Amino acid sequence: MNFVVSPKSVDEAVNFLVEHPEARPMSGGASLVAMKNARLIDASHFVSLANIDGLRGIGRVGDSLRIGGMTRHSDIATCDLLKGDLEMIRLAAGQIANSVIRNMGTMGGAIGNADPAADYLPVLACADGEVEITGPDGVRRLPVLDYVLDWYETALELGEIVTAVFLPSPKEARSVYRKLARTPGDYATASVACCAVDQGVRVAVGACGPRPLRSREAEATLAGKMHDVDAIAEFGQALRELADPLDDVRGSSQYRLQLIPRMVSAAIADVMEPV
Amino acid sequence: MSLDLDIPDGIAVGLSIPKLENREKVTGRAEFIDDLYRSGMLHAAILGSPYPHARILSYDVAEALEAPGVVGVLTGDDVPASRMGAFIKDEHALAKGKVLYLGEPVAALAAETLEQARAAVNLIRVKYEELPAVLSPEEGLVDDAPILHEHLDDYLKVFDTGSKGNLCSRTELSEGDVDTAWDACALIVEDEFTTAPQAHVAMEPCGALADVDAQGRVTLWSSNQSVFRVQANVCESLDLPMSKLRSLTPRVGGGFGNKMESHIQPLTVALALKTGRPVKCILTREEDFEIVRARHPFKIRMKTGVDSQGKILARDCEVLVDCGAFADDSPGVMGYALLMAGGPYRIPNMRARGQLVYTNKLRFGAYRGFGNPQVTFAGEQQIDQIARQLNIDPIEIRRRNILKEGDRWFAGPKIASNGLGRCIDAIEEASSWASCPSSKMPLGKRRGRGLALTAHISGLLGTGAIVRMLEDGTISLNTGATDIGQGSDTVLAQICAETLKIPINMVSVSSPDTDGSPYNWGTTASRVTYTTGRAVAGAAREVVRQIMEHASEILDVPIEYLELRNGGRVAAKGANEDLPFAAISGRAHWAKGGPIVGSHTLVFEEPTHDPKRAIALGLPFPRIGVFSFAATLVDIEIDEVTGQTQVTEAWSAMDVGRAINPRLVEVQIEGGFVQGMGFALYEEMIWDGARLANPSLMDYKIPTSADAPPIHSIIIEDPEPDGPFGAKGAGEIGLNAVPASIANAVNACCYGVSKALPLSSERVLARILEDEDAS
Amino acid sequence: MSKKQVFTLALNGKEVEVLAPSGATLLDVLRDKLSLRAAKRGCNQGVCGACTVMIDDVPVRSCLTMAGACEGRCITTLEGYADDTVMRELQEAMIASGGVQCGFCTSGVLITARNLIAENPIARNDEIRSALSGNLCRCTGYVRIVEAVAKAAKEVAP
Repeated sequence: MNFVVSPKSVDEAVNFLVEHPEARPMSGGASLVAMKNARLIDASHFVSLANIDGLRGIGRVGDSLRIGGMTRHSDIATCDLLKGDLEMIRLAAGQIANSVIRNMGTMGGAIGNADPAADYLPVLACADGEVEITGPDGVRRLPVLDYVLDWYETALELGEIVTAVFLPSPKEARSVYRKLARTPGDYATASVACCAVDQGVRVAVGACGPRPLRSREAEATLAGKMHDVDAIAEFGQALRELADPLDDVRGSSQYRLQLIPRMVSAAIADVMEPV
Repeated sequence: MSLDLDIPDGIAVGLSIPKLENREKVTGRAEFIDDLYRSGMLHAAILGSPYPHARILSYDVAEALEAPGVVGVLTGDDVPASRMGAFIKDEHALAKGKVLYLGEPVAALAAETLEQARAAVNLIRVKYEELPAVLSPEEGLVDDAPILHEHLDDYLKVFDTGSKGNLCSRTELSEGDVDTAWDACALIVEDEFTTAPQAHVAMEPCGALADVDAQGRVTLWSSNQSVFRVQANVCESLDLPMSKLRSLTPRVGGGFGNKMESHIQPLTVALALKTGRPVKCILTREEDFEIVRARHPFKIRMKTGVDSQGKILARDCEVLVDCGAFADDSPGVMGYALLMAGGPYRIPNMRARGQLVYTNKLRFGAYRGFGNPQVTFAGEQQIDQIARQLNIDPIEIRRRNILKEGDRWFAGPKIASNGLGRCIDAIEEASSWASCPSSKMPLGKRRGRGLALTAHISGLLGTGAIVRMLEDGTISLNTGATDIGQGSDTVLAQICAETLKIPINMVSVSSPDTDGSPYNWGTTASRVTYTTGRAVAGAAREVVRQIMEHASEILDVPIEYLELRNGGRVAAKGANEDLPFAAISGRAHWAKGGPIVGSHTLVFEEPTHDPKRAIALGLPFPRIGVFSFAATLVDIEIDEVTGQTQVTEAWSAMDVGRAINPRLVEVQIEGGFVQGMGFALYEEMIWDGARLANPSLMDYKIPTSADAPPIHSIIIEDPEPDGPFGAKGAGEIGLNAVPASIANAVNACCYGVSKALPLSSERVLARILEDEDAS
Repeated sequence: MSKKQVFTLALNGKEVEVLAPSGATLLDVLRDKLSLRAAKRGCNQGVCGACTVMIDDVPVRSCLTMAGACEGRCITTLEGYADDTVMRELQEAMIASGGVQCGFCTSGVLITARNLIAENPIARNDEIRSALSGNLCRCTGYVRIVEAVAKAAKEVAP
């Protein structure tokens, strides 16, 4: 049998993965093939999801917006439906790597690895996004913060693939994505997603721990006090308390802890700015 | 060789002629080492040491030999005990007896396919006895430190290195009397600085392809900066007579110092000799980071004293340099850094000392700037500090101190060509320096402006050129100089064409080949235009002399009444009738004199210093070169939220004596700027204990088109009397002052001094937080 | 993975069949089996950009594309643009501007740049710099590359 197999349906893909535990699902291939080239994985097959209908594209489904798991970053970065409080998703997509990689990488592939510095994780957490997972036991959905378990570890079981991400319908409200990276396109050293909600904000911090940082409690405490500088500073500190960063080649954990309250305040200022 | 005023320029020299090989590069037809194939070729893979310091106890290659496709395995037992090395001969072709850094090649194998080679290489079993590792120069100098090179005393050394224990070399240079000079100083600044190791990241990883003919003679292609250094290193380490090895050059995808001394050529040749088949070895990007070489991290203590007018009275500089596991070019880098530690200034009392220490890390080696960027980072900040404290404009204080024409560098020969003052004028004007003070921007940004000056040598060692007139009057030029993309083939052809007054398309440039090319030390030390260019001009002049002799006899006119005319013709002055080169060449080939061949060789002979006026202990190069000068100025913007610093605009003026090809000089300024910017802002090879933590382009970032700034390149020409048409070097100097100018710009808007490179956003944020705490 | 298979590729306007290891990338196949060596292996991780080719009208990394995932897709390499007027303008501009030094990044740069100016001939310098940010160059400092792309864009603009 060939190394790359191209099933025509999700069921076919799932069955193949269950029958071949050493096989790996391949969406854009950007991360997966890079790992293979570096001899970091030893798979029996790559199961390409490219020929499966219905996995690409962004559209409304009832009250939600659905981003198919095989939708490319380049399409997400230019999608008009991602506006208002979902604009941060578009902004995050546009800062992934570079224009060429964005033609290859996909939403499903990007969150499939749960790379802590990946750009989608904080924006999806901030947007209350849900991950749709399809496997041998059917379809299930998990909030993003329940999907990412630990450093590079997701809730995916054998045979399961990310088939879509669901977001609440966009509301008219500002949202931003602030990313600190050494050079344009690098993984985030630290990142902040922020959107305005009635009386307050939702904020998620990326690249400062195994999972995005979000505190609904702190958001509730801050609500109604958006012009109170001290309250905003306290909010930043609250997120800093949740952080569990590592020292890595992009920065020390101490630096990330310094950055969190500063970048959070700046992101809040961005969304509060009069248009 | 003096400026020849009889041959007016205009046919080639001074023109921005597109490089001769550009068309093949834009059509994808250029052949780099990985594009070369030999019938029956095998592919190599390398096994690296898992320990930073260990004795090799035994090898077991049986399983590897059985693996599919494997044809031959190489270990230290297969290579001789001979050693190679530019200054100290301390390296074998492959680790023998000991390994000295994590990842050091300890074995290699060749298989029918690359996939088979990579799959099998981990089947080579090596037993080690781990030894305690030395991971910093300080550790290496401790009394009972583990010793890396146990036979250091026996190694051949090309100068008085003072090697002992883990001390690879020591150098001390001094002029005047530094110790008593401080008393006269109105202001003294003293600081310690550190710089991080930088990776070359040429876009093409290192590679080699070796073949052995029926007579046992080796033909070796490799990505290189010197076919002659490759030949010497391979032959020394494998005990081959140099006549048994031919070293050739495909197109080279960048070097920057990484490819001047050998990389994997010795082990590739050894594998070819062992298997009897051609062997190609191309490093992965990770291996290119881990097993070749990198820029030296420096620890610098610098002290500068001035009078009340800001005139420098004394400078004392002490450096501690991490050598890595092998000496390579390190003694030269340290010695050169010390020679340059005063900067381009008149300093009556100067001392520069250094210690270079072996450690169990990747060898550090030649890298554009060769130690100068590191000491310039320190020295130029001190000039600015002094300017700030004495309330003198940073440009003004430099003007008060810079070397002038006729001054000497470290009691060396008088500098005949010095355009530094004009470089300063140029950037001052182009940037509107006077009207743009550093300012704090609204919305959490800071802006700063900073400048730095530098000088750099070009010259060094030996070179030759052969110019042949082919039967039809066209010209073949052979210099042995490797064009690594910077355009030396084109520049040398321009020099040749100008001297002969022919269009450049009448000149063909031979590829460097130790079989046919005259010796050329290499494409390094900013030397090819100046040194090899002199040889080319000399060889072409010899051809002109022979042309004139023939023409004189054919036309029956005395030589002094003859002139060259554009297009390859010679005639009596004022006469209509002329002789094409083809006619001259025909006569030479068939009737009289013999084929026209001009050759010229030279070695740079001017002494680096006069021992009666300055003291040098452990000076690696008794003859070095002439001086180029440059001034760099940058505008930066700092994000106060994160500390991230970006260069928004840059001006860089370079005195190159004469720009043989102005566009190519501009690209050296621009490319040097961006590579220096990366070194200044975020490039850093990071060791996690003994292991290099970021040997990949994911984790080690270099500048992209989106963060490289607009750069204004300004060429200044102050002709070098010895240079070909007045030219001197341009390759490295464009990088030297960049980290210093960026540091000075940061210092202009943040309190304090930038003590460490890179000026990462983390470090700059720490400065901003200090400011915030203070206020 | 040492198993071989026959790949059928729509490449530079022609259909080609090539026998290669089943786990090969498109870059492996182009260089090792088809002698199309304009695309270079600078990192094999998709970061440097030297391997960039066009697949279905977008520039992608051939080192990160499995040959086995190329069925039914249209591949164009630099060699395939030999008669393309937009590419010719770019090549001439690069030759003249100084944007070619060692040349190792050049093929990838040309593919990305051609796609940019074919879609957006009025691209500004900052848009050019942004589009090319995934093509690393260590020699030029990018100034003359951007200059060449801007010049070529003007030439091809309607």
